[in-house]
Amino acid sequence: MVWAPADPGIVRSVADNPGPHDTEILIRALYAEHGRSLLAYATRLTGDRAAAEDVVQETLLRAWKHADDLTSGSGSVRGWLLTVARNLVTDRARARAVRPTEVADVVDTPPVTGDHSESVVNTMVVMDALDKVSPEHREVLVQLYYRGRSVAEAAKELGVPPGTVKSRSYYALRALRAVMAEKATEVSHE
Amino acid sequence: MSEHDRTQLGAYALGALEPAEVAAVDEHLATCAECRAELAELTEMKELLGEVPPEAFLEGPPEGGDLLLQRTLREVREPQAQEPQLLEPQTKPKRRSRWLLIAAAVVVVAGALGGGVVLGRSTAPDSNEPVAGSKQVTTSDTTTGATMAATVEPRAGWSWVRVQVSGLKAGDQCEMVVTDKSGRTWVAGSWLVSDKAAKNGSTFGGGVLTPIDQVRSVEIRTVQGKHVVTATI
Repeated sequence: MVWAPADPGIVRSVADNPGPHDTEILIRALYAEHGRSLLAYATRLTGDRAAAEDVVQETLLRAWKHADDLTSGSGSVRGWLLTVARNLVTDRARARAVRPTEVADVVDTPPVTGDHSESVVNTMVVMDALDKVSPEHREVLVQLYYRGRSVAEAAKELGVPPGTVKSRSYYALRALRAVMAEKATEVSHE
Repeated sequence: MSEHDRTQLGAYALGALEPAEVAAVDEHLATCAECRAELAELTEMKELLGEVPPEAFLEGPPEGGDLLLQRTLREVREPQAQEPQLLEPQTKPKRRSRWLLIAAAVVVVAGALGGGVVLGRSTAPDSNEPVAGSKQVTTSDTTTGATMAATVEPRAGWSWVRVQVSGLKAGDQCEMVVTDKSGRTWVAGSWLVSDKAAKNGSTFGGGVLTPIDQVRSVEIRTVQGKHVVTATI
């Protein structure tokens, strides 16, 4: 069987039938789609390009071995990969017990240490929620929050008036809240 | 902003407004409980965003060729490829948002139903001890207030030392000095403490040409010679 690299179902297919050829297709697809994100993240966490490459390699190998745990949908796959990479870095640094007593209000990025399973949950769930808001909403959050742009800069980047950036960012946060609330409702109905 | 203009609040919560706009919103918030409540909700969402790293929004393969891909593929072609090991869960996070508790429940449900996200197996069976023969020491310096977790990992005839240090000040120029049992010292690198590292702790690693059983201590000091913290291995 042949899978197109962009097909999210490839992950599960390989898990069902892990031939050597399929494995390569999986690794290549993950690398092509998520490699830059993973390597940049690992490089920031380790502060060391060579160590970061090791982490990315280990992450991809782990994805291959746990392909049946990866879900379809690129958001969740990426969340899984990033979380595994972070855990590998944490393990390498063995940063146990050295946490600031209280992390001041909001940090820009998740802490490097943390309970494994919970970290997996957090990053994956929020990424999944971000996948569910509209592309316009996601885009404005990426600009203002993740890239740290001002309204004026984001307006220029996105080619819309500053007033639109403002209102979109408001509705984007509302939309995110609605998605999270919906998840909460699903749970309470179980 | 004398009228309710909620559409300003999103950009305000995200810290993207100009100073003059911030001042106007502040002025309004001081007198409007309704907008303060709304802002609190938006701020909760902003905190959730912090669970996802900014690099999550980069697309495509890494820049600079596919050497890393080739290396990874070679690894999967090797039947005896070694799988790196994950460790036991780390310390519990102190900050928990009810949203994330909800999120955790969602994933548990998803797992129970057998659909979508299944997390358990991705971490649990890999939980294992650190690299065999590693030594780990956590120590605090009561004078400087710095705390350090140092891990020394064995290599073939040399050692890899990783530290996580908290209590450093932004702008500190630090170096890691490893002393072996004969009293010889090795500078295993130096770094500058960023604002973020000052807040969250600084992670650093370096290698020294000393076998692990010869490593006596790991000291962090400033390049100006001021002692920060020492771990005796």
